[in-house]
This record gives sequence, C-alpha cells and structure tokens, in this order.
Amino acid sequence: MAQTTVNPPGSDANIPPPPDEQGIGARVLSYIFDIRFLGVLGQIAFILLLIVGAQRIFSNFGSNVDKLGRAQFICRDGRFAYRCAYDFMETQAGFDIDDTVLDYVNTDSFWWALTNGIVNTFRVGLLALVATTFLGTVMGVARLSENWLVSKLSLAYIEIIRNTPILVQLLLLYFSVILALPDIKDAIQPLNLPIYLSNRGLIMAWPQFMSSAAIWLAFLVLGIIQFQVMWVYLSRREEKTGRESNKFGWGLAGFLLIALIGWFISASVSDNEGLLIADNARIDEVDDFDTVMLSRAGINHLSELETLPEEEITAVTLDVCVLRESSSEANFVNRLARKGIPFKISRNGSPAKAMDNYVDGSCEMFAAPVSILAAERATLENPNDHIIVPIDEQPLVWSIPRFERFNIIGGATLTPEYFALFLGLTIFYAGGLAEVVRAGILSVSKGQTEAARALGLSEGQRLNLIVLPQALRVIIPPLISTYLSLMKDTSLGVAVAFQDVYLVSQTLMNQSGRALQIMIILMLVYLAISLFFSSVLNWYNDRVVIVER
Amino acid sequence: MASVTTTTSSKPPVQQRGTFSKKFNLNYFLQDNISGSRGLLIWVSILAIVTVGLLVQQFNNAPGRTWVIFGVWAVAVLGTVVGELFTLHIGATRWLKENMFNNVSNSLMTLFLGLFVAIIGSGLWSWGVANATFDPALTHPDVRTFDGASWGVLWGARKLLLTGLLEPEHNGRVIQWTLTILGLWALSFIGTRESTRETGWGTWVRRIANVGWVLSPFISYIFLAGLEYTEPFIDTRRFILGTVLVVAVMAILWFFKVIQLNPMTTAMWVLAWPAAYLLWRGITLVSHNAEIFTPIDVDRWGGLLLTVIFAIFVNILSFPIGILLALGRRADVQGIPYWILWPIAIALTAWGLYTSTFGNCIGTPSFLCENVNLWATSRNTVEQIIAFWPLLIPLATWAFLRSFDGNFLQAFSVLFIEIIRGVPLITLLFMAIIMAPFFLPEDSQGLSNFWAVIVGYTIFSSSYMAELVRGGLQAIPKGQYEAADSLGINTLQKYRFIILPQALRILIPPLAGAVIGTFKSSSLVALVGMIDLVGSTKAIIANSQWLGLRTELYVFMFVLYFLVSSIVSWYSRRLEDQAGLGVR
Repeated sequence: MAQTTVNPPGSDANIPPPPDEQGIGARVLSYIFDIRFLGVLGQIAFILLLIVGAQRIFSNFGSNVDKLGRAQFICRDGRFAYRCAYDFMETQAGFDIDDTVLDYVNTDSFWWALTNGIVNTFRVGLLALVATTFLGTVMGVARLSENWLVSKLSLAYIEIIRNTPILVQLLLLYFSVILALPDIKDAIQPLNLPIYLSNRGLIMAWPQFMSSAAIWLAFLVLGIIQFQVMWVYLSRREEKTGRESNKFGWGLAGFLLIALIGWFISASVSDNEGLLIADNARIDEVDDFDTVMLSRAGINHLSELETLPEEEITAVTLDVCVLRESSSEANFVNRLARKGIPFKISRNGSPAKAMDNYVDGSCEMFAAPVSILAAERATLENPNDHIIVPIDEQPLVWSIPRFERFNIIGGATLTPEYFALFLGLTIFYAGGLAEVVRAGILSVSKGQTEAARALGLSEGQRLNLIVLPQALRVIIPPLISTYLSLMKDTSLGVAVAFQDVYLVSQTLMNQSGRALQIMIILMLVYLAISLFFSSVLNWYNDRVVIVER
Repeated sequence: MASVTTTTSSKPPVQQRGTFSKKFNLNYFLQDNISGSRGLLIWVSILAIVTVGLLVQQFNNAPGRTWVIFGVWAVAVLGTVVGELFTLHIGATRWLKENMFNNVSNSLMTLFLGLFVAIIGSGLWSWGVANATFDPALTHPDVRTFDGASWGVLWGARKLLLTGLLEPEHNGRVIQWTLTILGLWALSFIGTRESTRETGWGTWVRRIANVGWVLSPFISYIFLAGLEYTEPFIDTRRFILGTVLVVAVMAILWFFKVIQLNPMTTAMWVLAWPAAYLLWRGITLVSHNAEIFTPIDVDRWGGLLLTVIFAIFVNILSFPIGILLALGRRADVQGIPYWILWPIAIALTAWGLYTSTFGNCIGTPSFLCENVNLWATSRNTVEQIIAFWPLLIPLATWAFLRSFDGNFLQAFSVLFIEIIRGVPLITLLFMAIIMAPFFLPEDSQGLSNFWAVIVGYTIFSSSYMAELVRGGLQAIPKGQYEAADSLGINTLQKYRFIILPQALRILIPPLAGAVIGTFKSSSLVALVGMIDLVGSTKAIIANSQWLGLRTELYVFMFVLYFLVSSIVSWYSRRLEDQAGLGVR
C-alpha cells in the first residue's frame, strides 16, 4: 500500500490550519470532517439504528402477546397488566425436587422451588470448585514431576479431558459408570469406612448439629478470637524482647482447649433431647435399656444376644419412632448402637404421624426434642401414663449409614445425579486448571529457584516466599475464569437430570407456560454469579498488577 | 541430585567401574528419602501403605498380571540400585534412575501407577475387546453378550450417527460434499508443504485451493441445503440492492485508502454482484430443471453432519463479528458529549414519570401505555419502588458517562460481550429456540430450530472470539500503534495494514483452541432437542435392536471428538510453524 501525499480530509483534521486563514466554507467542512464529529455522529446513528431495531422487536412482542391471549400477564383479579408478570410465581409448584437441602414439598410456591434450584446450583458448584482446585493443582504439579510415568499419565489425562466435550464425559460418567455401580445391597465399601458407593449414589457418615451446637459454636468463635489475640500478643512480645515462640502452636493449643471446654459445657447444659415412653416400661434413663433388654431376652449379658436365634432377636428389638432427617435420630441411634441394643427405626414425616404410630403400638417410643414431645404428650388420652426420658446429647453427632431392609438409611447421600455432575465438572475443569498451574509454575524463572537455593532457603521457604507469590500472579486470573465457567456449566446438570436452577426453571416454564419471565430470572441468576467472580478478578488484578510504562 | 552432579563435574571421578560407590552413605540416603522432614516421612509412609495394600489386593485378584508387573518393577529397581551402587550404569538404567527411580517415593509411585494403569487397562480391554462382539447382528438384547461391548451398534446405526434423520436419498450428496471438502483440504495441505511451497505447480495448487475455500460456503450450501427455484429469474430489488451495497463498500474502502482503484479493479467490484447473482440464479434454474440439487429441509440434518455444520458455520460467522466487537471494545472514538446526553436523559425521565409512573398516556404506543399508572395501581412496597423506574435513566446516564466517557461503541461492545459471556451457552440456545417466536413478526412462519440455534450459538461464540481477538490486539506492542499513528495513516489503514496482520498471526493458537471449543460444545445442542451426534443416541437406544447400548455410543463419540480435536490442534501447530510465529 503506497502512501499518497494528499491526505483525505478526515485523517489530519485533528490539526486544522488556523481558522482565520480559511474561507467560511472550508471552515464548516473542516468541522464536518473532523474525526471527532464523525465519531459522535456515527455513534448517534448507531443508537438510532438500535432503537429502531428494538422498537420493531418489541412491537412484534406486543402483538405476539396479544395473540397469545395475554395469559402471560394475568393478574390475580383476572385483569391484564405487565405489572402482574410475576404473580404466577406464588402458585403451587406441583412438582417434586428430590435432591434438596431445604424443606420443600410440591405444594410450595414457584418462588420456593426456584430458590431450591439456586441452592442446588451453588451446592454442586462450590463443592466442585474446591475439588477442582485440589485435583487441578495435583495434576499440574504431577505434570512437572521428575517421575516419567507420573508426568506422562497426567499429560494423558489433561489431553484426553481437554479434547473431549464435557457433555459426553458427563453422560459417560453418569450412565456408564455411576448407574453401572452395584445395587445398594452389594454397595462398595472402601476400606470398611462408613462410605457406601452404589447406583443410588454415595452414602457416607455425616456430622449433624444438635440444638446444643449453638453454644459450642459460640465457644469456637471465642477460640478463634483467642487465636488472634494470642498471635498479636506473641508477635509484640517477639518484637520487644526478641524471644521467638511458636505462635501458631500456642494459638492452636488455646483454640483446642477452648473448643474442648465448650464441648463439655454445651453437652452438659443441654436438655433438649427426650424420649417419650410408657411409664410402665420401667425406663427412667437411657442406661436402663441394658437391664430391660437383658430381662426381655432372658440373658445375662448383652453380648449373648448374638447367640440367640434371629426370631428371638426380632422379638426383643426396640421399635423406635423418630422424625425423618432429624438429628434426634442420629443421637439416640448412636447411643443404642454403642450399647449393642437391637432396634428398629420407623421414620415419620410429622410429629402427628409419629404419635399415631406410638398410640397404636407400632412403636414403643418416640425420640425427638423435648419441646415437641411435651406438646404431643399433652394430646394423649392419659398423659400421666407416659413419661419423657431425657437423653444426653453432644453438640455434634455422627449420623452413620446402616443397612435396614434392603436400603441404607442415615448419613448423608450424594444422589447419582449430584455425584455425576460434581465428578464430571471436577474432572473436566481440573484438566484445564492443571495447564494453568503448570504454566504458573513454569513462569517463575529457574534463576529465582537457584537464587533462593543460593540464599540457603529451605525447600518450604523457597516455595512459600519465592515461587508461590510469583506463580500465583500468573495462576489466579485464569483460575477465577475457570471457576466462573464451572459455575456456568452446572447448567449441564440437565443432561443427568440434576435439579439445579436451570432444570427447575425449565420445569417451571413447562408448568406455567411463561417463558419470558422465568428466562429473565434465570439470566439474572447467572449474571449475578458471573458479576461476582469478575469483580473478584478485577479486585485481585488491581492489587497485583505489574505497572508497565 | 544437583549436588551429586556438581561434585562429579568439579572433581573428575576417580572411581573404578564396578567397585562399590564411595558416595553412598546409608544415613544420608535415609535422610534424603525417608526421614528428611516430617512431611516427607508421612508422605512416604502413606504411599508405602497404599502401594503395598494395592499390591496385595491385586495379588489376590489377578495374580498373573500382578506378578509380571511386580517382577518387571523389581528387576528395574534392582538394576538401577546395582548400577548406582557399583557405578555400573548403562543407558537404560541411567534413564530409569533419572526418570522413575530417583528416590524411594518415586519408585513406589512407579509401582503404584503401574498397577493402576494395569487395572484400568485390563478392565477396558476385557470390556472393549476380549469380551466384546463386533457383529451388527449380535446387538439385540436377546442375543447380546452383557460382559462386554457390542460394537456392532456402531455399524448398525451408522445412518443415524452420521446424518441423523436426513432422507436416505440425499446420502450421496453428503458423501460428495465430504469428498469435495476433504479434497480441498488435501490441496491446501499439498500446496503448503515445505517441498512444494516454492515450486511453480505448488503455487498453482495453492491458488486453486484458495479459490475453492472462498467458494466452499456456496458449494456446501448447494450440496447440503439444495437450491429452490422461485420466479422471477431475476429479482430486480435484490439485484440492484446487492450491487449498490458492494459498490458502497468499495467506495468506503477506497475513501479510507484501504484499496486502490484502477479501471480494471473498479469494473471487477461493480460487476461482482451482478455476475455472482446471475451465476447463482443460473445454477438454480439448471438444477431445478434437471432436479439435481432438490432442497433439503435444514431441520432434517443430524448426526455427525449436523455437528460438523454447526462447528463450521458458527466459527465462520462468529469470527468477523468477534473482530468487530473487539475493535469496538478498543475503540477510542470521541464520546457523545454530556451536553447532548443530559438534556435527552432528563427529558426521557420526565416523560417516563409523567406517562408510565402517573399514567398520563399521551402519544405513547398503545401496547406500552395500557393500565400503566404504576404508582396508583401498585400493590406493595416493591411495586411502589418499581413505579419510579424512570429514575434509573439519569443513573444509567451518569454511569455511562463515568465508565465509558460517552463512548457508546465501547459501552455496547463491553456490555454485549460481558452479558453473553456471563450466561451459560445452553441458556442462550434454549432462549433462541423458545424466545425467537415472541420477537418475530406475527405473520412470519417463525425460525426453524436449526437457524435459531445457529443464531444463539453465533452470538455466544462471537463474544468469546471477541475476547480472543482483543487479547491478540493487546499483545501487539504499543510501539506498533504509535508508529502507525506517526505515519499519519487513518485508523482503518492502521488496522488493515499494521495491526491485524500481526495480531492474526499471534491469534492462530488461541483461534485453533476456539475452533476446537466450538466443535466440542456444539454437543450441547443435543440438550435443546437437536439430533446431532450426541443427540442421536436417544433415537438409537430407543430402537429395540440397540436397546440401552449407550456406553458403546458414548465411547465412540468420546474417541471421535478426541481424534478430531487432536487433528485440529496438530494442524494449527503446522499453521503456526508456517506463519513463522516466534521466529524473527
């Protein structure tokens, strides 16, 4: 491209000749062809074009809405108004969400169903985020390992995972791996831990907070404050006297001590848990179950139970009513299991149902918080024949899964869908993250490592003080965008029917026929997530950016 | 390691081959490998326990295989140790020492991973090969083997996998198209080989291939979508409009001196559209009379064909849009001045408050101003607040002026890119399919699902493209921009001749990544009901002949996607070499 000597009017108009040397026409021309003027004019034209386009689209929308009979915007009083676009969200949802941590029944409102979906999105996304960080780091470091086999295997992992679509991985994982696991009665139990892997997902022991946990948590907060105070105090002393001390060790010791004291205090002051039982059962405290059981079975020691035939054990088994998913169950069951007393649990949806079972004799006792029991006891025909036995509690009890009638109850369950989505996201994004971590580590030049060695720093110090601060600068920005993509890809849960916000919205659309309103909410949810991550990213970038010229 | 090499290099070894190593010291060895630090000790202990546990378990489960692995490992370790202790290293043992057995934890790791690979590998082997059947006749649930794969389904269901629901009589056209594209690719490949590059016939091959690529969209359209002839032969409006558009583009480019014109080139530009249009109509007429390229309903495309079409279509469409968005995002044009914006904003606010909030509908389109006395009809506090939505206009104006300095081009690009990148692709696809009917004219027949998905997908893809291109533009040193400015050339020239040629060269690797990404995520269209490669699974396994043979299909797709992605990334590395990236 040859440069001609005569410039077109637009290009050098930034430096117009002095106005008084020009004629009036040239002056007007020079303003019109000023690149700034043209720019503004172009932008205004662009805006007008957009407005015209938008107007067309929205007038189409308006007439389409008319055509659809305006059912989309009907108010509760039957009139039509755009204002009522979201009124329908208060009607009953009418569909089930199986996998949720909130209390949800299908008679709840659309709003509540959607909230459940949002919570599910975060539940799977955040856990996958943590796991991805871990797996990705391991794989990235493994890629740089001195061991040829480790390095090549992690290369194979990265290449295979990054070159195939996440959807196919997810489908393969769900249909061909997780649903192909053994039935629940042959569940895989790795290393005899209380973890069961089957085609119903992953069931594992899980801690449950009792009501006294509030006191204990208060003590934990106190412990953390203590840690801070201890740290500051020891640091100041170190500065003043030069006496070094193990700040972390002392702080931790203090924390553990406070936590332990808090544990015992909260366990001893709490009297929330109780057991409703007939007065004539001769049980005044939980320890009485031993003697009662012995006399029932006609044996001298509980260990002899095993020698009895099965039907005799069944005959003496305690029938216990509990509320479904209540922590009282875990608390009481753990106590009985520790003593080796045979029991059978029947789980009830509501206290009223449990009381029905209690009254008709299908369970001998009802374990629940004392407040519920007292209220229910008052409804009995002759309340004085029944007593409430207090049960000790600890702030935290383990709910341990156990077999009962071809099923496993107790513990926490990761449903196959949740498990597949979680694993699929983790495996896929860890592949990308491994490359990020590798690039980050390689970005620290060898000279830095050698200089650190020359200074006589230990390997740990070298990593903490020299390599990581420099590598993190490279790692963190792509790490955060990986997180963002991961959170967005939780929407792939629809492939395995995991009820996250996307699938719930889709169901809502089918139920209500109002696509536009729900689509807007869905978009806003995802935009909020992405806005959060990008503001974190910007904040970090502003902090660590290397200022160039 | 490092210290050992230093010693040997600074002091020449005086040791005889085959004598016991003088450097070996058991204490140091233990300290280096096991007891050096608490972390190392814990790590080695855990690794040892896990490895031995796995070994014992494998001895019980598969003794033969495990003996072989363990034997090989033990011999290799022994060889390395002997080589190390008695200074008897040969090439192999030195390699083993450096790469597999350089300390205790790595040696254990090697054994552990060897066992691990053997478990996975043998499982896959027995499922996929040893117990598998390959006969398409053996896929029915009554005759199927349930121990291994029934690969016969791939051959049996090849029609659905490759072209989905496309009518079988069009198969020939799809094959011809595939061969054409592969042929073009082969021509380019040959034309750009090192050996043929400089020769005369190599240049010709390259030219033919380039012309072929330019024509390929039309060739593809003719083969895959077919031609529908409608009267009249020449639509005067299209004929004139097209010519005017092409000439207008030419004029603008000439004005900004991106192209130069002589009578010959001017005639080419002016005649380009009429000639092309007449040719196209001619082909249409001929094909119509001879019934060669009968039209195909685009919604019948499916299987691998649809996946490939999506990938190609979306990449080709989103690249220019991406460049425009990236340029828009970097545009430093003069912003709209505040003294224009504020009066408009205030007027709009007042108008909004007057009409919408307080329901005085004068001169407002009827569909907007019906029952809209928002303040009077509000039912709760939230709606009372929403009633004052016009107050957002000054707020938005303020934010716009503050963040973008009145630069609407930039604001539009940034908002477009960030909003689209903020939502998942599947949401956009879903929206394109279900929302499109809302926004199309009432009397139109609506968008077919294929085109709706193409639109949604292109919007998504071009936002990502834009960010890639922006990265490329930023990678050009500032000096290049400044040098271009100091030459006194205009912006269009600057980008056309200085910036873009450099940026596009840098962009080859990320663009290849984007192409692979688009190809991979095109599988998501299966989730909105399209019958692409992944989506065809549903149709296949619903057939009683192939009931439930998901795994075989998914594994096939897994491998196919992997191969195609690998080929593309290999090809991009070749392009990169040819573009001389990183070579000065």
